[in-house]
This record gives sequence, C-alpha cells and structure tokens, in this order.
Amino acid sequence: MTPALIDTDSAAVESRPALAVSRFAPLRRPSGWVAAVVAVAFAAWVLFLADGTPAGPAVDDPGRFMVTVLDGVTFAGLLFVAASGFTLIFGLMRTVNMVHGSLFLLAAYIAIRVQETMVGRSRNIVPADVGVLDWVVPLLVGAGVAAVLGLLVQQVFLQWNEGQEMRQTMVTLAITVVLADQMLREFGGLARRMVWPGAATHFLSIAGERYPTTRLFMLALAVLVGVLLWLWLTRTSVGMIIRAGVDDRQMVRGLGINIRRVFALTFLAGSFLAGVGGVMGASFAGAAPGTDGSWLLNALIVVIIGGLGSLRGAAAGSLLYGTVVAFSPAYLPSQYSYYAIIMTFGLLALVLAVRPYGLFGRPA
Amino acid sequence: MKLAFACLVFGLALLPAVATPFFVNFVMTQTLILGLAAATIVFLAKYGGMISLAQLLMVGIAGFMYGNAALDGGARGLNLGWHPWAAAGFAILVTTLVAFVLGAIASRSTGIYFLMLTLVYGVIGYFVFAQIVEISGPGGITSIQRPELLGPPVLLYYAGLLLSVAAYAGFRALGRTAFGLALQGVRDDPVRMASLGFNVPLHRALAFALAGFVAGLAGLLNVWWNGQIDPASISIGPTLILLIIAVIGGISSLKGAWLGAFVYVLVLTYLRDLPLVDRIGLTEARFNTVIGVIVLMIMVLSPEGLTGIVHKIRKQFGETRP
Amino acid sequence: MRRSKVLTLFMALALTAGCGGGGNASSGLPADQKQPASSGSSTGNGIRLGILGQCEGPFGGFHEDVVAGTTLALARFAGASPSSKTSALEGFSGAKVAGTPIELVGIGCGDDTADRIVQEVRRLVEQLGANVIIGPLSGDEGIAIAEYAKAHPDLTVLAGISGSQEQTLHVRAPNYFRFYGDGAIWNAGLGDLLHNKEGWETVAVIADDYSFGHTSAAGFIADFCAVGGKVTHRVFPPLGTTDYSSYIAQLPNPDEVDGYFWAVGGTGTQAALEAFVNGKGDLTGKQHAGNLFFNPDLAQALGTDIAGAYVGGFATLPSDVRTPEIEEYLAAADKTWESIPGALSGNKPAKPSVAAAFGFFYGYYTAGVALAEALEAVGGDITDVPAFHKAIAGLTLDLPYGDIKLDANRSGIVDVGLSRLVNESGKVVQQTVAIVPGVDQTFGGTFSPDTPSPGRDSPACAKRDLPWAGKAITVVNGVPQR
Repeated sequence: MTPALIDTDSAAVESRPALAVSRFAPLRRPSGWVAAVVAVAFAAWVLFLADGTPAGPAVDDPGRFMVTVLDGVTFAGLLFVAASGFTLIFGLMRTVNMVHGSLFLLAAYIAIRVQETMVGRSRNIVPADVGVLDWVVPLLVGAGVAAVLGLLVQQVFLQWNEGQEMRQTMVTLAITVVLADQMLREFGGLARRMVWPGAATHFLSIAGERYPTTRLFMLALAVLVGVLLWLWLTRTSVGMIIRAGVDDRQMVRGLGINIRRVFALTFLAGSFLAGVGGVMGASFAGAAPGTDGSWLLNALIVVIIGGLGSLRGAAAGSLLYGTVVAFSPAYLPSQYSYYAIIMTFGLLALVLAVRPYGLFGRPA
Repeated sequence: MKLAFACLVFGLALLPAVATPFFVNFVMTQTLILGLAAATIVFLAKYGGMISLAQLLMVGIAGFMYGNAALDGGARGLNLGWHPWAAAGFAILVTTLVAFVLGAIASRSTGIYFLMLTLVYGVIGYFVFAQIVEISGPGGITSIQRPELLGPPVLLYYAGLLLSVAAYAGFRALGRTAFGLALQGVRDDPVRMASLGFNVPLHRALAFALAGFVAGLAGLLNVWWNGQIDPASISIGPTLILLIIAVIGGISSLKGAWLGAFVYVLVLTYLRDLPLVDRIGLTEARFNTVIGVIVLMIMVLSPEGLTGIVHKIRKQFGETRP
Repeated sequence: MRRSKVLTLFMALALTAGCGGGGNASSGLPADQKQPASSGSSTGNGIRLGILGQCEGPFGGFHEDVVAGTTLALARFAGASPSSKTSALEGFSGAKVAGTPIELVGIGCGDDTADRIVQEVRRLVEQLGANVIIGPLSGDEGIAIAEYAKAHPDLTVLAGISGSQEQTLHVRAPNYFRFYGDGAIWNAGLGDLLHNKEGWETVAVIADDYSFGHTSAAGFIADFCAVGGKVTHRVFPPLGTTDYSSYIAQLPNPDEVDGYFWAVGGTGTQAALEAFVNGKGDLTGKQHAGNLFFNPDLAQALGTDIAGAYVGGFATLPSDVRTPEIEEYLAAADKTWESIPGALSGNKPAKPSVAAAFGFFYGYYTAGVALAEALEAVGGDITDVPAFHKAIAGLTLDLPYGDIKLDANRSGIVDVGLSRLVNESGKVVQQTVAIVPGVDQTFGGTFSPDTPSPGRDSPACAKRDLPWAGKAITVVNGVPQR
C-alpha cells in the first residue's frame, strides 16, 4: 500500500484504504456524517450565531466575513507551496525530510540578502523601491541554493540508507540542528524581511474592507506552482516515472530505469519548492531563527491533514488549515480568542481521529 | 550479565561517596531523569513499535500538575496547597489518564504517522500550557519545593536511581507477561492479532498509558530537581532533544536510553571545557552544531545508536559468544 | 554477555568522569552538602565571576554583546584586558579592584528558557565555583535566576538585561540586584506624552501574549490611563502566530481610535506591521507608538511614513544624545576592541560602539560597574557576604546614560529616554524627545508585591498620580533642557 502522489482515480482512494484497516476502523464509516455535522454547525455559528466574537455574525458584517475567507484561502496558498515539496519527497522516497524547514529559512535569508544588494539598502525598503526583477531574481537565487543544498543532503546522507525511515528522519533532524546554528552565526538573530514588488502591492476595497493585492499575488503564485507541478507529474516522462515509482519502486527498477536519478531529481524539485515557499514566506511574514521550525511544523500539519505523499491532500490540507487559522481568532467568543491557536491543532486531532492517515493518505 | 547489572547499580549507589556534589546532583541526577523519560520512548518503540514524541509532554503535564497542586499562595498557578505527596499522586493520575486518552486516539496510527501525530500532541500540549495561563503561571510555575523526605539533593539522586532501576527491570519483566507478549504481537502483525481476538487499539492505548505513567514519574523528579516548569520546558526543541537522547543510545535498547542521556548531559556540561574544542572555534556559542554533528555521526555509523556501535566494536574484536 | 559490556562501559565512563571532575574522596557523602564545596573556599580569594548570556534562541545574536558589556565595565574600572581584540567571548585577564582579583570562570549559554538558564547557572556556581553571577538576558530567565539566588544566599547576582517585573517585585531575593529598568518602566512617560502633548484620548494596544509583551503593555497602559487616557482594545496574538491578519482585524480602524501602541517582537514585528498595512491602512507617525521593538533596527518593515511615531526607552538613549559621559563610554568601547560581532551589525565585525549604544550591551555594563564599585565600597573584602550585599544595595551608579540607584526590592530607579522616529534622507532613525526622570517599578502603587503579574487584563485602566507625570525633561537636538 503506497500513497499515490496524484490521485487520478477518486474511487480508488475510497476503496483501497478501507480494505487494510477496516478491522480497526469502526469509526471510518460515519466519518462523512461527522464531517457534515461539523461543517453545518460551523457554518451556522459563523453565519448567524457568532455574537460576542471579535468579528460578529457574518450576516451582520459580510465584509469582515469575506475578508476572513480570503485570508484563509490566500494563507492556504503559502501553506501549499511550503508543503508541496515535503509531500513530493515523502510520496516517492518515504523520507520525512526534516531539513525542509531549514531550506525554507536559508532560501529566505539568501533572497533577502540578494534583494538588499539589488535595491542598495538594507532597511526601510518600501514596495515602491522594488521592481519585479528585484523580487524574482532573489527568489530564483534563494530557491536555487536551497535546491542544490537539498540535493547535496540527499546524495551524501540519504541515498545509501534508503528505506530506513527512522534513521533518515534522525539524520535530517541532526542536519537541521547544525544548519539552524550555522544560520544563526551567518545571518544573526534579528528578524529580517523580504519586500513584495511594488507592482504587486495595491489595495482593493472588498465590501468596505481594505484588502491587499499582495495576498492575492501570493495565492496566484501558489496556483501557478500547483499547476506546474501537476503538469510536470502528469505530462512529462520524468513525472510519469515518479508516479510509477510512488506506486511500485521495484517494478520501475525492473524496467531498467535509473531510479536513483529520479530520486535525486525529486529531491532537487522538493528542495526548490521549499525555497520558493521560504522566499514567499519571508515576504509575507519575515524570517528569523525559529522560522525554520515553525514552517516545518506548518508543512507537517498540512500533510498530516491531507495525507502524506498526496499532492491533492496537500491542497486540501492547506485549505482546511488556512481556514481554521483565519477563522478561529475572528469567530471564537472574545474571551476565548486566546485559545485560537489551540483550535488549529484541535482540527488536526479531529481529522486524525476520523481518518488516521489523513484525508487522502493511505497506510504507510 | 545479571552480575554486571548488579555491579553497575552498586557502583551508582556508591557514587555519591566518591564523586563531586556537582557530578552527582547535577550530571547524574539529570542523566537519570532524562534516561527515565527516554526509556518510555524506547519501551513504546521496542515492544509496541510506536515511536512517540509525546513523552516530554507527559513529563510536563506531571510537572505542571504537581506545581499547581502543591504550591500555596504564590502568584502563579492554581495554588491548591495540597500535601506534597497528594499533589504527586494527583499529578501521576492526571498524566496517566491523559496518556490513556491520547493513546486511544492515536491507537489506529502506526509508523511515521504515529510519530507525527505524537509530535502534534506535543505541540498542542505546549500551546495548551502557553495559552491557558491559569494552569501554567502565567509564565511558568516557579519555586516548587520537593517533599521533605527528598530534601537533600543526594536523595533526589537516589530516588532517580531507584525509579530508573525499577523502570528498567519493570519494562523488561513486562515484555515476558501475557500483556507484553500480546503487545509485541500487535507490533509485528496487528491484523493477525486482531483476527485472533486481541483488542489491538486497547493494547496500544494501555501501553501508551503505562509509558505516560513512567514519564510522569520522570516529570515529578524533573520538577523537584529543577524547582520550576514553564511552557518552554515542553516546546518542540526539548521534545526533539528527548527523541535524540533515545536515538543516540539506540531506539530499541532500554539501557540505551540512560546511556544516551548520559552522553547528552556529558556533552552539554563538559564539552566546552575541553581546550581543543575551544581552540577550533567551537565555543559555547556553536554548541548546537556540535550536538548535531555528534547525532549525525552516530546515525551514519549505526542505526542502533551507541548500543549498536558498542556491539559492532565487540564483533570487531572477534568475540563470538552469543 | 553483550549487555554486560555496555553496562561495564557505562559504569566505567560514569566513574572516570566523576573522579575526573575533581572529586574529593573525603569521608561521608560529599554530594550531600547543600552548598557546593568550592563556594566556601573561594570567598577568601577573590571574585569568581560567571556571566549568563544567550547563545541560542531568539536573542542568540546578542551573546557577544552582553559578554562584551560586562567586559567593558571591568576593563574601565577594574583594569581588565580582554584576551582578544575582535571578540569578547575569549574572556579577559588582570581584573582587580581594591586588591581583590576578578576571575571569569565561565560564560553560560542560555536559550531563552528558564530551564536551560537554571542548568547553566548551576554549572557556573556548582561546578566552576562562581560566587558572582552577571545575567540573565530575558524575562522568564530573570525570574528563575532570582529564585535560584533566593535559595543560595551566599551567591551574588547582578541581573543582566532581563525585563520581567516579578524578578524583583515578587521574588525579592536579598542577593539579586538589577541596575536598570524593567519592561514596564521602559514605557513610562509615553502615555503622558501621547495624551497631553499629542492629544490621544483613546488607544488600542497590541502586544505579544507572553510575559514581556504583557509587561511592556502594562507599563504603557498604567501610564496612559494614569493621566486620563482610555484603552479601548487589548489584543494579544499568541507567540508562534504566522498570519497576524485575524488579530489585526480585531483592532479598531484608524478613524475609530486616536492611536495604536505596539509591543510585538521577533518575526512578529514585521509580520504584524505588514498585516496592519494590509488590513487597516498605512503606518503613519501620527497614530503609532511602540516599545523598544519599534526601534528601526529591529522593525525593518517600517517605511519612511512612520516618521513621527514615538518609541519607548530601552536602557540607553538614541545616538543623537551625545553628552561627554556618553562619548567617553563609546570611545572606551572602541578602544577596548578593534571590532566585535554584535547583533546590530548582523553578527559581523563592527565598531564596538555600535553594540555598546544598545540596551543589551549596556545592561550588562551597568552590572559590571556595580560589581566594581561595590568591591571598592567594601575595600575588596567579600568575606562578609551580607555587608557586600548591603554595599551593592546602597550604590548610586554614575553611569553614562543617567544615574541609577536601587529601590527597596533592589530594582533600578532609572531615567527613561523617549524618542521619535524621524526620516533622515530616506533612513528612519530615532531622535530623543524627552527624558523621564526617576522611574521606579511600582508606577505610583499600580504594581506591588501583592498585585498580580502584568497579564491580559491587568493592570486595569485607572486614573492615578504618577510621581513623574508632567516632569519629563524635553530634549531638543540631543540636548536635555534641564
């Protein structure tokens, strides 16, 4: 049983996992009901009942509601980019790549340096100073460095112990500890940030609420990444080999295909995606020591919700997680809004209690 | 073999007579506490096939519960003002119950999913204590006193030694009981065990609860030793450190847990005093790099950690006796 | 058989390390002593100093700065000479006051958690035999170290730059001294200025949901409410928030409130400000004020429009104030090292005065000065520990950024420098506008040993008399108008 990277056949998703685990999964069948009840209760609360919350019922303040929805979807875009590389690598190679967060942060730091050099200033940079190239070039440099470093990690430390999940996890964890320390030495402890290009920075009015186009730009980038990934995996021969490798590694090998080269390519792509996520994340929320850990965690949460190794799961997980992140501070009763961050994880516990392998995952 | 074990325990019992107070009360006490906590990870991995990242959370729950129950009239926590031993019992009870519930929820996950689910438990636990300030301070619970019985620091060392020996012997003995054998069956082939009529999720949940109970004991020792606990004590960093300790020693070797803890504490405490380390630029500021490289080297050399390396060395010297 | 090998190895290691650690095989159980063996013997032969820094965690970049702070004080007043011209972490030698040598026995490496700092202080005191500790750096660490000091009355602790209120106000350890202000003090006078000079009647507060955020907000709220202002909203985003937009949405719109007070640090500074621009409007100087996190070095997300915003103090004064004492202090730093890799220069080698002008360095500097002056006061005799502590408690330090003396709980009574952000040809810099003299941590009775720690709801917004209200000394072009 292996998770499919692209679930082309949804019927297969429904039937296959049930076979193996049905004996331990008496809760599996009512999962649809549970989800429906939760969704209806959630909608009713947000639409009509949410008196005494910071945002108020959506019928009273539709602008606030729409902004919250947009916040959730746009943040989900960033989450998707950050998680897609992680799930890609896991899907093919079964490696829980703990270095993902470090690559995310490293790309961010490097891109910030490149941008500062290109703009010629290290602080008080405003979007108007930043041309499109001043953002895209740092993005490519940062993500490129992350990709090369990721490939290096895979070639040196992960290639020869393929199949030993725990050992690989610990090796990458140790590398993460070293990288975090070395980044602190190289880039210092202060928070830095990347600046969005001026061309992407405008403000809209949505039902009377101010809304930035940078968040929509972020979402558009995420959609672009998702589409390109999908095309790569479904329309190119390499992509097809990757998908075949996900389903049956031995068979691919038997066909005379050099699977090691495919692994290397996957790691390169996954690390590049981590880097792209890092540069977007640094533009959205800055970068500092600790950002690596929190984004590794974000990526983990997304793929746990969605199911490890499934690209579609990553998209669904991002959307769900982004929605909860946006809605819980706004629609919890005011005196409980401090507990919003716990809600995020409550979602996770709920999903896993109902589907132990995530929405689109299968037993590993 | 039993003789060597007895010798070791005997040696450790005599240690306070020969070693410095710092070595006994700091290095060795910390080793025993971390070892006891890491042993619960090893127990779950070895007998249940579950690698848990929630064990430090159990340590933390016990610590917070003790602090809330035992303190009286301070500015932090609930200040229930109970008798220290009542507070200790309460802390262990709560920890075990929480462990059972969390174990039951996780009982259908295995492998890498279980690892990540328990990591999420750890993170939820951190945020629960960080955000619900009524039970965590605010900002942690400080000036926690240990019961009078354990007043002198060296008695805390002996308590750690006693519990460590008990946990080691207990876990090993459990492996031979009906429950232990069933648990190992569940680890190896859950489908067959289920079809034989064993309640697979229940076995996993019970094992998790037992591990939580022992981790809770480590948590009590820890809070008595440290005198304080705050949400940062159970954040993701220390959570991963505990896993690293279990892995340094060897994830499927019970004694490896204490060995890993000992190595970790030694490195943490003494490494920066070595003149050589200082000269090549690895001052305390780059300590994490050193820890990372050590773990990396151990994992590259042997997936079974230090225990595995010791076995390899033994084989190199040509000992062939089983 | 396998197992026995491992166990024997384990045992051998344990015993070797134990004895190698300098064990004295005397009668009885040495480990049963409550006091470390070394501290008793060392009191006779000088100060054995341990410094608690932070080499990991969010303030990991300031490790060099804080060690350098203490080193500079001892270089100036105890004749210490640093072992390296380009780093303070190599230690120093030759420090001596009134015939009593000061030896640096070790530098503790904290990671911003109380657990770790307690372990580090135990290593310094119980293994390396330190009898004086300078540090720690951050708030929760301060509480833990104050508790440790309370349990070890022979130890002397001079706090580094830890900003929590409770370490002195609640713990009140007789051997724990803090020669600088706390997180609340650094915002004293800001409310007075904003209410009475800028005409703010209402304000919304947004701060990190942990002790330093609460304490910073508490100082501002106590001050702003004392002079008659109203706090309409208090928003506390949890640490670890990535997307601040939902928390920013809880703030009122710019036309519904006179201004905003910010105390969000770390990555949160950039992310929260960005979210504000996205959801509420541009950051204008007229409507914003913040605690030390609003320092343009830390808040790089501030555009030039922020010019005009007020910023709370942080131990030192911005670089536009240049008294002879400050010049002398900065010059001394530049003379002591060629360069040091401080946090403000991104941990790249830079002129030492860059680090010395910032609060982290300076807090540890004041502790070092206090140590030297106290030794002078007792004639170098530290055998009588209570007398030594009494001497420290009675000090009035003549320091470059204003005199500091201690209150009854041994916390500093300090002058707070408030500043404004100005646009200096495209670069936002701080300009000092007022010095609030003689601020103590009780805020005229708002905080006392019996009041709860600053939190989400405390202190309440109440009008009261503050000793320093209306007494702020205006600063024009860097010159205080005394």
